[in-house]
Amino acid sequence: MNIPENLSKSCLLAALIFWLIIGSDDFESDMIPFIFLSLIPIFVCVMIVILGTICPIFWIASSTTFNNKQIFKTYFPYYTILTFTICLFGIIISNFDIYMIAFFTSAYITTNQSWVWFTKEKHK
Amino acid sequence: MKQISTLIASLTFSILFFEKSIGLNLSIFTVLTIILLAIYNPSTFKSRITLLHALAYLITAVVVFVNHSVLSILTNCAAFLSLVGSVSKSNTSVYIRWLNGTYTTIASFFHRNFQVDNHEKVNWKKDIDVMHWAKLIGIPLIFIITFVLLYKNGNPLFNDLVSKIHLNFINLQWLLFSALGYYLFNNITKPVQVEPATSLDLKTTNTLLKSEKISEEKLKKEKQLGTTLLALLNVLIVLYIITDVIYITSTNTVSAPDLSNQVHSGINTLIASIIIAIIIILYFFRGHLNFYSKNRTLKNLTYLWIILNIVLVVLIVLKNHNYITSFGLTYKRIGVHVFIILTLFGLLTTYLKVLHIKNLTFLFRINAQVAFIVLITLSVINWDSTITTYNLEQARSFDIDYLIDLSDRNAVILHEKKNTIRISQTEKNRIETKYTNYVNNLMQLDWQEFYYELYTMKIKK
Repeated sequence: MNIPENLSKSCLLAALIFWLIIGSDDFESDMIPFIFLSLIPIFVCVMIVILGTICPIFWIASSTTFNNKQIFKTYFPYYTILTFTICLFGIIISNFDIYMIAFFTSAYITTNQSWVWFTKEKHK
Repeated sequence: MKQISTLIASLTFSILFFEKSIGLNLSIFTVLTIILLAIYNPSTFKSRITLLHALAYLITAVVVFVNHSVLSILTNCAAFLSLVGSVSKSNTSVYIRWLNGTYTTIASFFHRNFQVDNHEKVNWKKDIDVMHWAKLIGIPLIFIITFVLLYKNGNPLFNDLVSKIHLNFINLQWLLFSALGYYLFNNITKPVQVEPATSLDLKTTNTLLKSEKISEEKLKKEKQLGTTLLALLNVLIVLYIITDVIYITSTNTVSAPDLSNQVHSGINTLIASIIIAIIIILYFFRGHLNFYSKNRTLKNLTYLWIILNIVLVVLIVLKNHNYITSFGLTYKRIGVHVFIILTLFGLLTTYLKVLHIKNLTFLFRINAQVAFIVLITLSVINWDSTITTYNLEQARSFDIDYLIDLSDRNAVILHEKKNTIRISQTEKNRIETKYTNYVNNLMQLDWQEFYYELYTMKIKK
């Protein structure tokens, strides 16, 4: 598993989605330094989520006879339903706050895409 | 052609829902979804099950327009997932349809990268092209925007020039919302399945199959244990029912806390009793005892146990009914009745399981189906209006604060009846405020947010 590559791509994707949503509401040029600064906390969040929730599934399941596609096919549906529920719940309890929408939407799309990148990575 | 129809649907999605509350838009969305699903999956729409699901979904759309309640909106969502799941694989259990429907709706796009079932394998080369184009357009765009915004602060002339460019006509949020609509329609029009759950469900029948042989001695001992246990439980429940009947007929309790206590403790007893009853029955009839030739007594005791539990249910119905006629309807009291209905179905299906030697899957399948039908039926009723009308017209006493605190859907009824009931001036003022706010809100609605009550009010005016 190429974790550094996946983390970097996921971090950029998460930042792009997050700032696209924030920018759709209100964007000023003063915010540009924050965009670059935000890459640090976004990377930390992405790393925690990917290393804590996606990688263990691949590590545990790949020790069996499963290949990447089989792991994806078996575990991804439940993972995505669970993360979608959590993200939707987060958005609803935040009373549709734009920052929370941006955070949870980017988290949901990034984790899903991260699964796709891990699965495409190598074919046993 | 299909891409264009998805694109049109996604733009319609934005027109219907962007910065709008739920109303007519959800009903239109329902019709749009059914049309789009039928265009993309004509073969699955020939199946009777899928057509029934489409009909149920359509009914919930009408109910959303007429009732406009949270329950009707939730039911519409459940029916949507059920229909999408049915298009995904029609002959599966209800809960697998919900699972497939949910998965298709939220993540079919990601799943289709890996259509493992060969017929729709991903075209890697095409994917790389997409990525290449995304990079070619996206990266320069991001950097150009960044640098334009940076240069704006560095040079007043450049700042003036940039300021003259007005992109106000583009609403980025609206576009993102359309993208969400596109993602949704793109997902549902190409349904996927959760594996191996779907194939396992398709393989599983409802009938319990006779497995390997087991010693007669072991079966006999198990039968003896079951018979003794059920016989004793039957005696106990008969005793409970007798004492309960005596209590109901001999006492004239009228205070709300006493009645409330009776009903709630009765419900707790009922929950525990029914769950334990079903677990015990499922344990003894999990396998070999179903096929044991000398299981007649055990089966009869089981039927008796189920019947006595139904009697227990009837007693709770009586208590709850008594409670309602005395102190009016509330959501909690309606909830008790709903639970009773579901319990009755649970007991009846357990009876059928034992009678026709069915397995646990049968119980899950049929009860999930019953729960879905009950949900659709409940959503048809305008509960706030029903509660208000019943409490003000038929109940011996009512809690006006409770009625005022209900949603706005009873505002008109309360307003009409406020002078015919005995309440304080403060409460009348609260009703008037509620009604005024409701009417003002109704008048500010856009066409996407319309619902039936608005038309009836306009007609009255």
